[in-house]
Amino acid sequence: MSDLILQSLFSGLLTGGSYALIALGLAVVFGTMKIINLAHGELVLLAAYIAYMTESGLKINPLLAIPLALVVVCIASVLVYFFVSKIKKDRELNSLLLTYGIGIVLTNAILLIWKSDIHSTSNAWFQEAFVLGSLYSMNSELLFFIVSLVLMLGGWWWLAKSWHGRAVRAVASNRDAAKLMGINPQWTELISFVLAGVLATFAGVALYSSGVIQPALGESLTVKAFIITVLAGAGSIPGVLVGAILLGVVESLTITLYSSALQELTGMLLFLLVLFVLPNGLFGASRRRG
Amino acid sequence: MKMKLTALAIALAATAIVNAAYADEFKVGSVISLTGANARGGTGMHEGMLTAVEVFNKQQPKHKIKLVTIDDESAPAKAIAGVEQLASQNVLAITGGATSDLVGPASTAANKAGLVYITSGGTSEEFVTQGYKKFFRINNTNGYVRAMTGMFADMGIKSLSIIYSTKKSTNELAVDVNKIMTAKGVKVTLHPFDPAIADFKPIINKVKLQDRPDAINMLGYENDYVGILRAAKVLKPNVKALVGVWQIANAKMSKDFPDLVPNVSGTEILPYPAEFDSAEGKQFEATFKALYHKSPDYLSEYGFVQAMALFEAIGRAADKGSLMKDGLADEMRKTDRTTLIGRLQFDARGDNPNFIQHIGQHQNGKIVIVWPKEFATGKMNFPGVPW
Repeated sequence: MSDLILQSLFSGLLTGGSYALIALGLAVVFGTMKIINLAHGELVLLAAYIAYMTESGLKINPLLAIPLALVVVCIASVLVYFFVSKIKKDRELNSLLLTYGIGIVLTNAILLIWKSDIHSTSNAWFQEAFVLGSLYSMNSELLFFIVSLVLMLGGWWWLAKSWHGRAVRAVASNRDAAKLMGINPQWTELISFVLAGVLATFAGVALYSSGVIQPALGESLTVKAFIITVLAGAGSIPGVLVGAILLGVVESLTITLYSSALQELTGMLLFLLVLFVLPNGLFGASRRRG
Repeated sequence: MKMKLTALAIALAATAIVNAAYADEFKVGSVISLTGANARGGTGMHEGMLTAVEVFNKQQPKHKIKLVTIDDESAPAKAIAGVEQLASQNVLAITGGATSDLVGPASTAANKAGLVYITSGGTSEEFVTQGYKKFFRINNTNGYVRAMTGMFADMGIKSLSIIYSTKKSTNELAVDVNKIMTAKGVKVTLHPFDPAIADFKPIINKVKLQDRPDAINMLGYENDYVGILRAAKVLKPNVKALVGVWQIANAKMSKDFPDLVPNVSGTEILPYPAEFDSAEGKQFEATFKALYHKSPDYLSEYGFVQAMALFEAIGRAADKGSLMKDGLADEMRKTDRTTLIGRLQFDARGDNPNFIQHIGQHQNGKIVIVWPKEFATGKMNFPGVPW
């Protein structure tokens, strides 16, 4: 039984790392602009398909698709910002409708270009087993867990230490006051979208390298990212990591101790429980109390 | 003046002769998933239906079928809207439905509209027990269950882990396989999974450490199989066989995931490369290749068989003059012919009592039919797993 639980915790930890990578971009935009980009999952998926296209077309490691995917996904992300920034009234609500629509357009564009078949990497190393005592994972899962941690640390450092990062936090905190301090809020928001594009790129390549992709996947990725973002507390990077790992571990333990059929339900119960106890999310609430 | 009248009479007569030579055109609706989660299955079936249109229109020049397709986008609400829209366009019948989740609402809408509905995607038992007089299907859960349980019995396995999606059809399959195998004295453990699952390792780990079965039965869809097989390749449970249901023993899985599928089995009618020995099979293959420049698979084969059964019934009813008198369903029930999937008949419930699947196994990039023995095209690799 202990072997089962340990493996479950290990799998949950790694799954949480991939969830965090998917959710981080959404959380950054949410923190800056107070909008939920419902096309975020499709941006992740776009990067995943570019990785597929590169690997299947050029027969090279999907990691080498990252530069191309960065360009394409960041341009797509900037286009999403361009449309969102044109909204003059009720930005929170109207942006939901707009980005949902953009998500549908992106899904159908992916379908048109790459058809409806499922795809996954054929790279053997990514799929090989990494064995640590009695614990097992795929090499790709462990690799991208580490990438996720590095990007989280980088994101946290950037927000805490760099001028642009502090500008993002200032705009997130009080847009008008930030303006008075000489910060251009439009540029800052644009930077957030570019950052979200960068994170979506890594998340997409990770998704392709360790899982299965198909055109309809974008929506479920967005929902997962949304749950983690709200669970974390607006714009909190440590919150995203903790929330994502918590969700991954709870889902994994549910499968091991009960049934996989209850996996989504327990994830949602965790979400509701946290919001009931801490309405501002895990880290939003601690900040307020602090 | 007399000359002009004569010319006019000749022209009218010629027009009448030409019109008489025209075929009757019958409009048939197709509501199928061309986009969304079920697009792969729906597209394959739709290609088979369009092949049937081509073949039928060549075979029966006095009747012409026109297929009007609406994409249900893998959404039940859109499947209903599609059927209603086609009913308003006065189609004679509907052919479609990629999965039971879509066939349910679409067939209900067709029943309300008084239209014949035929599918190969709705295998659930409930469709033939709800009393719809114009519902027909060419395959059913029972045919899949008989194949898998028959093979497990022949393998002589003593314990089985069933990993199954909680979707309607797969859930029903799991219940039936469990019932039959338990009755045979086999120890069965059930592992239902949510279709949104991302990581199968916790399930496979339970199978490996707790169940320790002789075989794993996977009841899901393509993306589920990839996840299950990947997790199994990492954790390597000590099993003798991995057997799936639909969407596993096909050329696409062999081409896309060559490292995951060796020795894995699944329900399949045809070996790959396909070997058609009947005249209809050869015509189907040639027409399909001419239309799509690729080889047909079982999805297109199902689409072809269901559409041909419908088109032929339309032709017969038209010849008898009963088509506009609501005689199409009666004519469908008179169907009795050998098709690409075996003998096709419809019982009073609209079900095909003769349907039984075969089992194919991935062997060296090919699909070899390994069960039942009388249809086998090769020897089963048993014990056999991908690692």
